[in-house]
Amino acid sequence: MAGTAAGGSRRSRLAPYLLIAPGILWLLVFFVVPIVTLAQTSVHVVDAPWWDGYYRALNNYGVHFFRSFRYALIATLLALALGYPLAYVIAFRAGRFKNLLLGLVVLPFFTTFLVRTFAWKTILNDEGPAAWLLRRMHLLAEGGRLLDTTLAVVGGLTYNFLPFMILPIYVSLEKIDRRLVEAAEDLYSTPIGAFRKVVLPLSLPGVFAGSLLTFIPAAGDFINAQLLGSPNQQMIGTIIQNQFLAVRDYPLAAALSFVLMLIITLGVLAYARVLGTEELA
Amino acid sequence: MSRRDSDPRDDQLHEFLRQAVTRRGFLARTALGAGGLALGSSFLAACGGGKEGAPAAGAPAAAGGTGGGKTLRISNWPLYIDKQTVPEFEKATGSKVEYTEDINDNDEFFAKIDEPLKRNQSVDRDIIVLTDWMAGRLIRLGYVAPLDDSKFPNKANVVDNVKDVSFDPGRKYSVPWLSGMTGVGYNPKKTGRELTSINDIFDPKFKGQVTMLTEMRDTIGLVMLGMGKDPTKATVADARAAAAKIKKARLGGQIRKFTGNDYAEDLAAGNIAVAIAWSGDIQGLHADNPDLVWLAPKEGAMLYSDNMMIPKTSDRQDLAMAWINYVYDPVHSAQIVAAAPYLSDVKGTGEALAKVAPDLAKSPLVNPPDDLRARLHVFKALDEKEETEFNRIFQDAIGA
Repeated sequence: MAGTAAGGSRRSRLAPYLLIAPGILWLLVFFVVPIVTLAQTSVHVVDAPWWDGYYRALNNYGVHFFRSFRYALIATLLALALGYPLAYVIAFRAGRFKNLLLGLVVLPFFTTFLVRTFAWKTILNDEGPAAWLLRRMHLLAEGGRLLDTTLAVVGGLTYNFLPFMILPIYVSLEKIDRRLVEAAEDLYSTPIGAFRKVVLPLSLPGVFAGSLLTFIPAAGDFINAQLLGSPNQQMIGTIIQNQFLAVRDYPLAAALSFVLMLIITLGVLAYARVLGTEELA
Repeated sequence: MSRRDSDPRDDQLHEFLRQAVTRRGFLARTALGAGGLALGSSFLAACGGGKEGAPAAGAPAAAGGTGGGKTLRISNWPLYIDKQTVPEFEKATGSKVEYTEDINDNDEFFAKIDEPLKRNQSVDRDIIVLTDWMAGRLIRLGYVAPLDDSKFPNKANVVDNVKDVSFDPGRKYSVPWLSGMTGVGYNPKKTGRELTSINDIFDPKFKGQVTMLTEMRDTIGLVMLGMGKDPTKATVADARAAAAKIKKARLGGQIRKFTGNDYAEDLAAGNIAVAIAWSGDIQGLHADNPDLVWLAPKEGAMLYSDNMMIPKTSDRQDLAMAWINYVYDPVHSAQIVAAAPYLSDVKGTGEALAKVAPDLAKSPLVNPPDDLRARLHVFKALDEKEETEFNRIFQDAIGA
């Protein structure tokens, strides 16, 4: 970066480009190249037309795509319902406990994803505490189970991605100028009105970022379904992994990955439009 | 194949992680991606130590170097050896051994060594240990060097039932490290009765309390045996029939899960009653849960071996042969089995084991009687096309 600061008053016009160069290079090497390779793999079909992988992906795995997005959506909504109030409390009401609470939100990351999901398994065991409690309350049939059910998979997804929902929302709430809320109340707004008209709109960028950070990885996740679900809860991530590693049907696996990416991209664009992010700071 | 620690002192976290690094590559990789917490330095070192694609200056195939003064590099599955064998071998031969437990999954390991071996490059390993079908694939692709029988006098100790296998007639390229049996594991407290047949797992009484293995050959093979078919001669039609039966059971809710060796935890925790199970796992679980039973069904059980092979680009083949010959001594084999409770394929190990671990030697899971050995089947060696077809049929059956 030599020379950017030289000359004092006259800024180098190259500076911004030089600053983003490492990032661009990184994306080229570690994102664009793999994507191109993946695209080649998806159409590299032997003894069949080039679109065979895509044909089979759409033909045989619609139910898995649908299920993955359904689970991811429910998990995102649950994470939002749990995460927003929590982020709100940390941002506006936590006082000197703010840092401690934020630390607690991040704490799960100190152990691996895998161990945390295994811990869920232990909690949800047929003979475990949760099942026992629910049976005692007659909320679970005598032969019923929690583990290897849709509930367990969606619960696992929600739990694993919850911090990704909380942190961006917290950041956007934290940025809100408190005087705006005071001003709203001076203008005879009820606390609820002030929240609806001032705080909520201003925190939408956080909600947007948080739901993307929850929904996208949840839709492609394969650990939760594998560990906490039965075969009837298989998600698309598990299928892709199986096709890549066990069956070694590379065109199908690559095509599935592409279809997943495409649907997610379209979904994100639609979502951005609905929330009107281009007007949001 | 399934690896299970028999040491009851393991705490639960270690147990989780241990399961995480066995059989299923995805778990291993995820754990690694998530920071590789406590996967053991050997595992992590191995991931950095492969130097894939580092050209070995055009190493000639089957160089058969003497390995004088060189280090023998062995890759094996986790928890598959005792602590003494390596140092004692070093002392006996005056060589150095670098023993790495970096094989967690056949498919994953194949992905690691496929490219360099295709290009005749070094994989920085002199002994690798892979399951029958994968060994068959490597032999078919010409990736491994023939074993030099002149340096393998203990070859006479190979037990009869694995002397000649379809994927390696006459054992020219591979020889078992250890073997295991696939049969039925169950918890008598949950079943309420003794089981005898593989078909007991389809008993509607156990609805939702059954697991099967994601290992295609084990699951399809056992179900075929239950249908009165011979897995050593499996045809595509047989596979389809077995898969249809499995699929029906899955859709009907009979089968709760298809797993790697995490079924063992479910069996011990009482989540399931019956599982298609590996003998070594159940033997290992006896320490915490002596009630669990491993059954070789009356129709028969599957036998698998993990086989030692020498990559063709190894420049220390003599040293590798010295190791293979060494572990084919029954006394040395007994020492290994005492720590890793699987089946030894070395004649005379049973007697040697009775001296060092009399209790273990009595277990049919480690020391199967001859009539049980006679009922064990090795799944047919599939060619590339069949393998893809079988896998497709099976993946569809298990809904993966």
